[in-house]
Amino acid sequence: MANTGWDEFEIGAMLRTFEGEAGDIAGTLQEDRKYTENSSFSASVADWRIEKPVFNKDYCIDCQFCWIYCPDMSIISRDKKMIGIDMDHCKGCGICVEVCPTNPKSLLMFPEQADEESEIASWPAKEDKEK
Amino acid sequence: MSEMKKIKNLKEFSTSADRFEGANLLCPGCAHSIIVREVLNATNDDLVLSASTGCLEVCTAVYPYTSWDASWIHIGFENGSTAVAGAEAMYKALKTKGRLKQPDRNPKFVSFAGDGASYDIGFQWISGCMERGHNMMHVVLDNEVYANTGGQRSSSTPIGSSATTSPAGRVSYGEKKNKKDMVAIMASHGIPYSAQVAPNKWKDMVKKIQHGMAVDGPVFINAVSPCTTEWKFDPKDTMALTDLSTDSLVFPLYEIIDGHELNITYRPKNVVPVEEYLAAQGRFKHLFKDEYKYLIKEWQERVDANWAYLNRREEARV
Amino acid sequence: MAFDKMELRDIEVWDGNFAAAQALRQCQIDVVSAYPITPSTPIVEGYAKFLSDNYVEGEFVMVESEHAAMSGCIGAAAAGGRVATATSSQGFALMVETLYQASGMRLPIILNVVNRALAAPLNVNGDHSDMYLGRDSGWIQFDAYSPQGAYDLNFIAFKVAEDHGVRLPAMVHQDGFMTSHTAQGVHTLSDDEAYGFVGDFKPMNDMLDFEHPVTHGVQTEEDWHFEHKARQHNDLMTKVMPKIQAAFDDFEKLTGRKYNIVERYDMDDADVAVVCMGTSVETAREVATEMRAKGIKAGVVGIRVVRPFPFFEIAEALKGVKAIAALDRSSPNGAPGMLFNELAGCLFNQEERPLLSGYVYGLGGRDLTKAHLVDLYTELQANVDAGKVTTQLQQFIGVRGPKLSFL
Repeated sequence: MANTGWDEFEIGAMLRTFEGEAGDIAGTLQEDRKYTENSSFSASVADWRIEKPVFNKDYCIDCQFCWIYCPDMSIISRDKKMIGIDMDHCKGCGICVEVCPTNPKSLLMFPEQADEESEIASWPAKEDKEK
Repeated sequence: MSEMKKIKNLKEFSTSADRFEGANLLCPGCAHSIIVREVLNATNDDLVLSASTGCLEVCTAVYPYTSWDASWIHIGFENGSTAVAGAEAMYKALKTKGRLKQPDRNPKFVSFAGDGASYDIGFQWISGCMERGHNMMHVVLDNEVYANTGGQRSSSTPIGSSATTSPAGRVSYGEKKNKKDMVAIMASHGIPYSAQVAPNKWKDMVKKIQHGMAVDGPVFINAVSPCTTEWKFDPKDTMALTDLSTDSLVFPLYEIIDGHELNITYRPKNVVPVEEYLAAQGRFKHLFKDEYKYLIKEWQERVDANWAYLNRREEARV
Repeated sequence: MAFDKMELRDIEVWDGNFAAAQALRQCQIDVVSAYPITPSTPIVEGYAKFLSDNYVEGEFVMVESEHAAMSGCIGAAAAGGRVATATSSQGFALMVETLYQASGMRLPIILNVVNRALAAPLNVNGDHSDMYLGRDSGWIQFDAYSPQGAYDLNFIAFKVAEDHGVRLPAMVHQDGFMTSHTAQGVHTLSDDEAYGFVGDFKPMNDMLDFEHPVTHGVQTEEDWHFEHKARQHNDLMTKVMPKIQAAFDDFEKLTGRKYNIVERYDMDDADVAVVCMGTSVETAREVATEMRAKGIKAGVVGIRVVRPFPFFEIAEALKGVKAIAALDRSSPNGAPGMLFNELAGCLFNQEERPLLSGYVYGLGGRDLTKAHLVDLYTELQANVDAGKVTTQLQQFIGVRGPKLSFL
């Protein structure tokens, strides 16, 4: 796709998202859809990040605030449970951490190269909120 | 008409399969995306969408990538609304003539555009769509500037905001004119529904979007979209900024039904001083200089007066 | 079928506007998105009346400006159906941005352009300044010289534009007032014949096909734009003319009326020729015949397909001609006329280069009279006799005041 010639793509300033028939897209989870290479789902913006969210499911209450307020569809929620982060599409904006209501937070930002396991192992303790 | 998607709570909402994709070019923390997700996830019906030239369009449809999982069209800056109106007209024509490929499906027609595209250059086009009664929804992603081109003032830019074509400087405090009330202007076309929404109050937004999609006729939605790049705040604070905008009543959440019945739909438990809203944004930081502090006071007075006006309309049922 | 057919007489007396409106009716447009402007307004008024009298089905969207008219057409065409509209002059100028958008998006839309002068000064009468404004817009462009042409060329335009091997929007030009408001006998097609010629609309990349959602109108920058525009130009240069020729051939079989990419009149042994467009073509033909009687071997070349530019067809038609006049009905404002330039382009590399001069005429509805053309042909013959252009290369005909000539 990167260097195709003028005669090698469909006419009109046009792109297709799915291979073949789309079916009921609103009723189909992303992992079950047949995206073409032209859907940005197939691309990655992981290299945008300088810090990344790390998810500690021990504290998560599945409130779904992170799911709804993530601008990049990078909070993966299945069956009403937060199960992880889509690291291909996460831009590291940090909104998920800010909206997480638990104490300690279930999501925290760390430098991009941080080791997730060791960060989870040394997760900060519950904060005493000053009245 | 198809059944409206039932969304009791956020957990239920989280089972939605997004029809908008990541790895687009929007800034980290962009509220446009949060708004688009809430709008698209409000329905399971098919969608025919458009975007006018602007951040959303430019960041989600740059060849060879598209971030859209539904049919979508971009023509130009002014005419995203008319593009959808044309598609809606074709839908009606093909329905009459029995040529729809999937005749049992009920698409929703939604156009997205920024405040620049909606309040300024596309004003006439939206007005035409609203006046002609197309069964469509126009959603304004209001970040109060021409963000995509670097933050020039639009007629949505509020007083005292420093935009690149109304910059604060040694002898100026930035934008001199207040933003025009598009929700009311569009409501006065007699459309069935016109409302202001904010992405932090997701339930309020989804309820309004669903209502808008259910009514027959044109709908106008103004969504506050705090812009980390142009309002100058940290990307992680987008939702905090949105909270400040709704809780300070700078962006009150209300709806106007049939052009003459206003309902306030969100009353903050604790109203936040406007000063806090202004203090959180770099575009207003010059207002905190001694010589411009009076503008902050005027801001509070304006917001209070507008809130009082909305309450009077609601009470009088007009 | 939920609409009524019309029984037309073999010959109807129609002006160019009504002829176009009837053609649109017979093609059964799905969406007409339009705005009124003199002198094209009667086309959309005619269509609106057909709709309210149940002679057509579909949506008629009377938008709030011409830019919105073409924008609505683009949205409707991308949604997937037969789309048409009409405009002139200022309206055409207002929608110029969208013309480029429509052709770049490869959407078949038919635009009837009733050629009218561009302001300032404001003028409602006919000339070709609006046509010239749109020449690089990437549309296929036909020129009608009479109400018959305005009628017939609409069918040709739909057939060519909607072809999946073409997928480009098309304009049908006709002179404002001179054709649009002048009634002549028009040979008609029956509703069935006309619709049968154009055929059902076959969708492609249609937004209303929910099983195959598409993104229309992407952005391309320095890495992709050139390829997209090159593709569009390639298709205009290689795919369109053969389809037009085929449509002309099929139309001749159906009606006996033969259209040509370049209309040659008495050109076989012509020494002098006038190349022009619009109603002037028919006037020139009459004068050419009169010049023949006076011993001047005169011919006329009418441009039928303005875009793609019939580069080789024009050169072929002008082979052997010794002196040619390019007639431009638009002010070039500081340059030689468009037709002069484009003819020069296709004649420049010929082994035997003819003499070429240019005339600017008829702006804002000023008549081109037979007397003007008699003088013109006489000048061309003088050029032939002298072996060079005896006048300046650009002359204005029919304007009051001191003689205007340049170059």
